[in-house]
Amino acid sequence: MVTARIVGYSLQNRLLVAVSVLLTVFLGLTGAVLDRAFRSSLETGVAEQLQVQIYVLLAAVDEADGDFYFSENLREPRFSQLNSDLYGFISSADDGELLRTASALDIRYETLGLGYNLAIGETSFGHLLPDEGGEFFVSSYTVTWENRPSPIMFSVLEATDTFGAEVANFRSSLWSWLGGLAALLLVLQVSLLRWGLAPLRRLARDLKQIEAGQSETLDTSYPRELSAVTQNLNLLIQSERKQQSRYRTTLADLAHSLKTPLAVIQGELGSGVAGSDQGKLMQEQIDRMNQIITYQLQRAVSAGNASTLARQVNVAEATAKVGRTLGKVYVDKPVTIDLDVDSALSFLGDERDLLEILGNLLDNACKYGRGKVLLTAALESVTPPRMRLRIDDNGPGISVADRDRVLQRGVRLDTLAQGQGIGLAVVVDIAASYGARVSVEDSLLGGASVVVVFDNIRVAH
Amino acid sequence: MRLLVVEDESLLRQQLKMGLERAGYVVDDAADGRTGLFQATEHDYDAAIIDLGLPQLDGISVIRKLREAGKRYPVLILTARGDWQDKVAGLDAGADDYVVKPFQLEEIQARLNALLRRAAGFASPVITCGPVHLDTLAKRVSVNGAGVELTAYEYKTLEYLMLHPDQVISKAELTEHLYAQDFDRDSNVLEVFVRRLRQKLDPDQTLQPIETVRGQGYRMRAMD
Repeated sequence: MVTARIVGYSLQNRLLVAVSVLLTVFLGLTGAVLDRAFRSSLETGVAEQLQVQIYVLLAAVDEADGDFYFSENLREPRFSQLNSDLYGFISSADDGELLRTASALDIRYETLGLGYNLAIGETSFGHLLPDEGGEFFVSSYTVTWENRPSPIMFSVLEATDTFGAEVANFRSSLWSWLGGLAALLLVLQVSLLRWGLAPLRRLARDLKQIEAGQSETLDTSYPRELSAVTQNLNLLIQSERKQQSRYRTTLADLAHSLKTPLAVIQGELGSGVAGSDQGKLMQEQIDRMNQIITYQLQRAVSAGNASTLARQVNVAEATAKVGRTLGKVYVDKPVTIDLDVDSALSFLGDERDLLEILGNLLDNACKYGRGKVLLTAALESVTPPRMRLRIDDNGPGISVADRDRVLQRGVRLDTLAQGQGIGLAVVVDIAASYGARVSVEDSLLGGASVVVVFDNIRVAH
Repeated sequence: MRLLVVEDESLLRQQLKMGLERAGYVVDDAADGRTGLFQATEHDYDAAIIDLGLPQLDGISVIRKLREAGKRYPVLILTARGDWQDKVAGLDAGADDYVVKPFQLEEIQARLNALLRRAAGFASPVITCGPVHLDTLAKRVSVNGAGVELTAYEYKTLEYLMLHPDQVISKAELTEHLYAQDFDRDSNVLEVFVRRLRQKLDPDQTLQPIETVRGQGYRMRAMD
């Protein structure tokens, strides 16, 4: 759950969502305001037009013998055309409808519900939704007519269809422009965000490279806001490395200052009580102390080494170094050491640890083998990169029953038999600190084969 | 055989010096890297034993510099930590073998013996010069299979000559490599040893393994 959240947790996505919400609200409100303004200005226009039409009616109407009639042709042709969208009515509260334009011949006046509640000289403008359907704008104007006791109301109705079509037209054009604008702004926003957040992505990439051992420190060319962080990170990395190296130096000094007195005691023993029971006992204790110092110091140095501040060590070069060393040491013993190492493989970790693993395993193979040693290091899987290191010899091998015991981690040194080396125990411990697995198998050469599978590997392209 | 021991811990240095002297070596010693390097480049030793953790100049630098100065004699390193990076660095710098502290003197002697023999070009611990066999491990000499009793000094003289077959070895060189500095260089002790050696190895004077090169020194004949 937490992992899923962290995976999708991107600063860029967050900003993008925020900006999208902002854009939607802003453009939505803008659209609504513009729509409203357009409608109201259009309605004002309609009201003014209808007012003009009322004046047209007023000018054309006359009365004779109590009947109203059009004394002249109406200047607005739509009044004369049946069922055009413009209709005129003249009515009074007492007599009801008095006259209608030719266009309104099909309309049932009583269904319109126009009402007569206007004061003299007052104009009203509004919407009309008659029972029979349709929608109209209506403008009414009330006047006093000579010889007429009740006021005469002039009403002009215009169907809202044209108005609706214009509004719809405006809306579709408005929203498509706003939509286009939103899309353009989003694209701009994404590119600006990418540009703005690029230093952060670079920082992440640089940190990954340090983790992978491909670079030592962070670049210094970061923006001002980040440079404080990167400088501190660099200091932290350097201090961690210094700390590590100080730690190793201290342990080396400790080894030196513990073992030199042991060497003195050993020397005295050689000239004094050697051979006696007392001498044997002392020799045993010296050997034990020596093994414990070697083993525990080695453990202390390699413990927790699979740190994120790894460096990369070329496996082929490290193997060649150890091979050269052993070639010198075993010059009297005819040992052939064959190395078959993929030169593209690099170990992500401390060179000291890799040398320790290689040195101990190859030394054992030279010591216990009968002259033939083969080291192979090859990729076992590409993703994730995994290396299989295999050291074969043609010695007596390790019996199946003994294999688990020799691979046990953290075996207390005082339980080791006299003369049993600590090389393999050290290898198992170092390997474990890198998450690598050690196993013992039968070798095709006839002896033992020690296999170490590493995951902290980088493959050069 | 003249050796150089460079070790900062004085007790251990004295022990090594005494033990090796008992075993018949002539030993010079130094307590720090700088003095050690000076001695190592000033004199031609047969081998050097150098501790890696030295004050003033670390052991690896001493080895690298003495190799740069053209010194080819074998070097045995002593390492306290005993980890492979030290061993690899030491041997890469030019050392020939390592011993991890604490050690037994016998181990040092065995390694030295092998190094000296290898440096002279002999693969086996038994050096042969015609009918003369010299076992560097058991320190025994035989001629045609019959053992020859030699004193320590006689043995040292023969060993040095046999490790440098067919080379003219001056009396000065022999003296320097076989005897401590307070040895009286003007005495005729060396000539006495060589004469006795000749008598013991070749009583009827048929082999004549050691030649005298007039005005220059002695030469061990490489016989098949």
